[in-house]
Amino acid sequence: MDTLFIALSFVLAGAVLPLLTHRWLRLCKILHTAFLAAGCLTGLYGLYTAWQHLTDPVFSFSWLHVFTLSFSQDSLSAAFLFPVFLLSPVIALYGYHYLEKPGASWRIAVNHFFFSLLVASMLLVTVADNIITFALAWELMSLSSYFLVMYDYEKKESQRAGYLYLLFTQTGALFIFAAFAVCYSYTGSLNFDQFTHLPHTVKLIVFFLALVGFGSKAGVFPLHIWLPHAHPAAPSHVSALMSGVMIKMGIFGILRLYLLLDDPTPIFPQTILVLGILSGVLGVVYALGKHDFKRLLAYHSIENIGIILIGCGLGMLGVSTGNRTMALFGFAGGLLHVLNHALFKSLLFMGAGAVLQKTGIRHLDQLGGLLKTMPITGRTFLTGSVAISGLPPLNGFISEFLIYYAAFQGLTLKGSVFFFSMAAIIALAIIGGLASGCFTKVVGIVFLGEPRSAKGQAATECGLSMRTAMLILAPACLLIGAWPEPFIRLAFAGLHDFAPLVEVTPDILGTIPQNLGLVSRLFLLIFGAIFILRHLLYRSKPISSCTTWGCGFTQGTSRIQYTGTSYAMSMVNFHRPFVKVRTEYTGITKIFPGPTRYSNKVDDIAEISLHHYLIRPLLWGIDKLRWIQHGHIQLYIGYIILTIAMLLLVL
Amino acid sequence: MESIISLGIALIIAPLFPGIILKIKALFAGKKGPPLLIKYYTLAKLLRKGSVYSTSTSFVFILGPIISFAAALMPLLFFPFAGIPPVLSFHGDVIILFYILGIGRFFTIAAALDTASPFEGMGAAREAFFSTLAEATIFVVLILFYRLNGSLSLAEYFSGTPLISLGGGQGALMLLVIVALFMILLTENSRVPVDDPATHLELTMIHEVMILDHSGPDLALIELGAFYKLFFYAAFIACLIKPLSLANPVANSLLFYGLIFVVYLAIGITESITARLKMDLIPKFILTSFALVFFAIILTLELV
Repeated sequence: MDTLFIALSFVLAGAVLPLLTHRWLRLCKILHTAFLAAGCLTGLYGLYTAWQHLTDPVFSFSWLHVFTLSFSQDSLSAAFLFPVFLLSPVIALYGYHYLEKPGASWRIAVNHFFFSLLVASMLLVTVADNIITFALAWELMSLSSYFLVMYDYEKKESQRAGYLYLLFTQTGALFIFAAFAVCYSYTGSLNFDQFTHLPHTVKLIVFFLALVGFGSKAGVFPLHIWLPHAHPAAPSHVSALMSGVMIKMGIFGILRLYLLLDDPTPIFPQTILVLGILSGVLGVVYALGKHDFKRLLAYHSIENIGIILIGCGLGMLGVSTGNRTMALFGFAGGLLHVLNHALFKSLLFMGAGAVLQKTGIRHLDQLGGLLKTMPITGRTFLTGSVAISGLPPLNGFISEFLIYYAAFQGLTLKGSVFFFSMAAIIALAIIGGLASGCFTKVVGIVFLGEPRSAKGQAATECGLSMRTAMLILAPACLLIGAWPEPFIRLAFAGLHDFAPLVEVTPDILGTIPQNLGLVSRLFLLIFGAIFILRHLLYRSKPISSCTTWGCGFTQGTSRIQYTGTSYAMSMVNFHRPFVKVRTEYTGITKIFPGPTRYSNKVDDIAEISLHHYLIRPLLWGIDKLRWIQHGHIQLYIGYIILTIAMLLLVL
Repeated sequence: MESIISLGIALIIAPLFPGIILKIKALFAGKKGPPLLIKYYTLAKLLRKGSVYSTSTSFVFILGPIISFAAALMPLLFFPFAGIPPVLSFHGDVIILFYILGIGRFFTIAAALDTASPFEGMGAAREAFFSTLAEATIFVVLILFYRLNGSLSLAEYFSGTPLISLGGGQGALMLLVIVALFMILLTENSRVPVDDPATHLELTMIHEVMILDHSGPDLALIELGAFYKLFFYAAFIACLIKPLSLANPVANSLLFYGLIFVVYLAIGITESITARLKMDLIPKFILTSFALVFFAIILTLELV
């Protein structure tokens, strides 16, 4: 635990020092990155010592003589801290060259401050061991990420997105605190370990209240609305940190609460599975329909949160049916996917940020052919795309395989367990197919083919630190895919302190990790062999180049290329009732037609319904209460006195 | 050793069968048709040639054929041809294999989009959509098989108890699965009525239009990969049809390859007597196969 606090102080130093040195921008950036990296490396060492049981995992001190702040470290917090410590320094490194705004050194320093603060708060959230500590850390996390989103505060879009995010995160926090309040009123204690003594119905209320809060942080459908707005507005390294690491804290909250409540009711896993399947499938369908680069990636975060939830839901289902294999593989798959998603999603956001910085274009259909002008960004993005599509031999597949394995265990059981397992498998298959459909779209439209606009044509490769960051993450994805064994064991080690599973038997894994690695490496080997074979076949053969075969049409321009919109249209239309497609087409009316236009937009039904069924009635109701606000100070004071008097009478 | 020999035979013999389809189609049309070994001749011809690359393309265009060929090769390593144990096998291998076919598809599509051709983009979009639907059917088949004998590997399906085949305990269900898998075979291998490899109009193609710009040995790799993929699906169905296992390995292999011939015969007849479907009917065609297997699963609900 001590090591973690040393790490924390390093990270906090990395927060404060940039503020003091903002006049020397380069020094400020170097200090920030160096201290953050030092903190995270110390943190990783701390996780290692805790894993080897070298240190005391519990720590607490009294704060303001009223509250006790207590911290404890178990395998679950380690599983979520690992990606935080691993990714944060890489993302900070990326930010070194990404944040280049002449004359805005103060703003950059403030960004560094909140960046470090967010990392520190995530550390605190994962090790918090009572209600007060958790609530404080949670709020710190929400607020610091809000200020990160607001980096371009003078832009209207950022203000809107930031406000939406603040609204969601604070309402979510409200639900979480309400859940804690219910616990407190029953147990009279602020400690987490009292949760398990709650009566069953109270546990249900607590779980569902907190689920709203944690779900909105994680971006679970239909509480995901802030994500697709916040990510395009935030700077890309912030998106990478938020999407790669921070939204996982929602998952952490759900798992922590589940373990604390320790109730084998089948309602928890069923809810989680339904939410997971919804988020997974609809996340990827909306991603297909969206053509703003970063918004699309934001919807993919929702999809991957869905996959993680499916894994966790299967794990809980395994617990409630007493099927240990299913429980272990489900949870382990979920935890490994947390790490994997952190790796490839950060990588993809970095790629998107590089494209955005160099071209200034966010719409996919105006980009194209960037692989030739931005070779490193293009190649690493391609790696990340294959990984997020869950295809072997990259890391996304490994965690999905574990989840599949868990789901197949449930097929031999009776009744609803069978039904949910089957739904999980079909959902995973569809998510996998659609995700690879969506990422062939992104790669194909943005990086392949010909540039679609002059701005896109003039792009150059991004800065050194950005390239370095991407070159660290892309091989990491391949490493986990080709040598999955230690990482799968790590994920299972993350289940060490899961109360319902008591002890983790490593023999349950059997030869699965070796086999997975074997197939990945065999595939790479065959690929290499064919690559060499092809090279030999082409020796002393005539190779020439000319324009693409246009099926007889010789005057093709780059504008006749297939666009992302048309690529995805049939897939989006197929999911019609769940996706609202708005088409505007003026049509051709006369014999000599004038200019016509066609546009189509995919709307998020969650957003529409929220607006229609919640915001509008709410505004209407509040509008009716306008008479309370009249501007007479004496009456306002009257309100206050009345309220205090009523409170005194009631309490 | 036995496994490697059987794999070798399969690898060598696979390009023969598409020639059979051509022969059957020619017979139906009252023509003589190309020689049976036509596909070998085509491959040899392509391997001798050089290539023309579009100026729009990048290295992804070259990766496409290599990865799709490597992906098509993988399932054959795990397949128990005629009941002979495959080169490799473990519990859970089917999931990996279908995902590896997925990475082959990913790079075929990426290579198609790399050419900046509107036709190839169109084909790519269709391929991405239809294969997603087909993937759902395939996983429902895996669910059914897991329920029937608890196995998750190609070798276990056709050696475990109860055997998964028409002659096994659940023969009636297999009828549904065979029909559904045949439909998936037609979809995934771009055969009529989903796709018509022989049409002259690029607008109506799916797979064929995606490889318009490939030439020479690259095209040979794609073609050979397609033959292997088709062979894998046909062999899968043949294993399901196979009513019994003969004691003599040679006779058993002959029976197995005879059944594969039957599957190809069925493909040829289907191609001869049906027209290709309208594009918007294809999702319904694929979902029909999904419904068939789903129905089979409902029938097993009382079993376990």
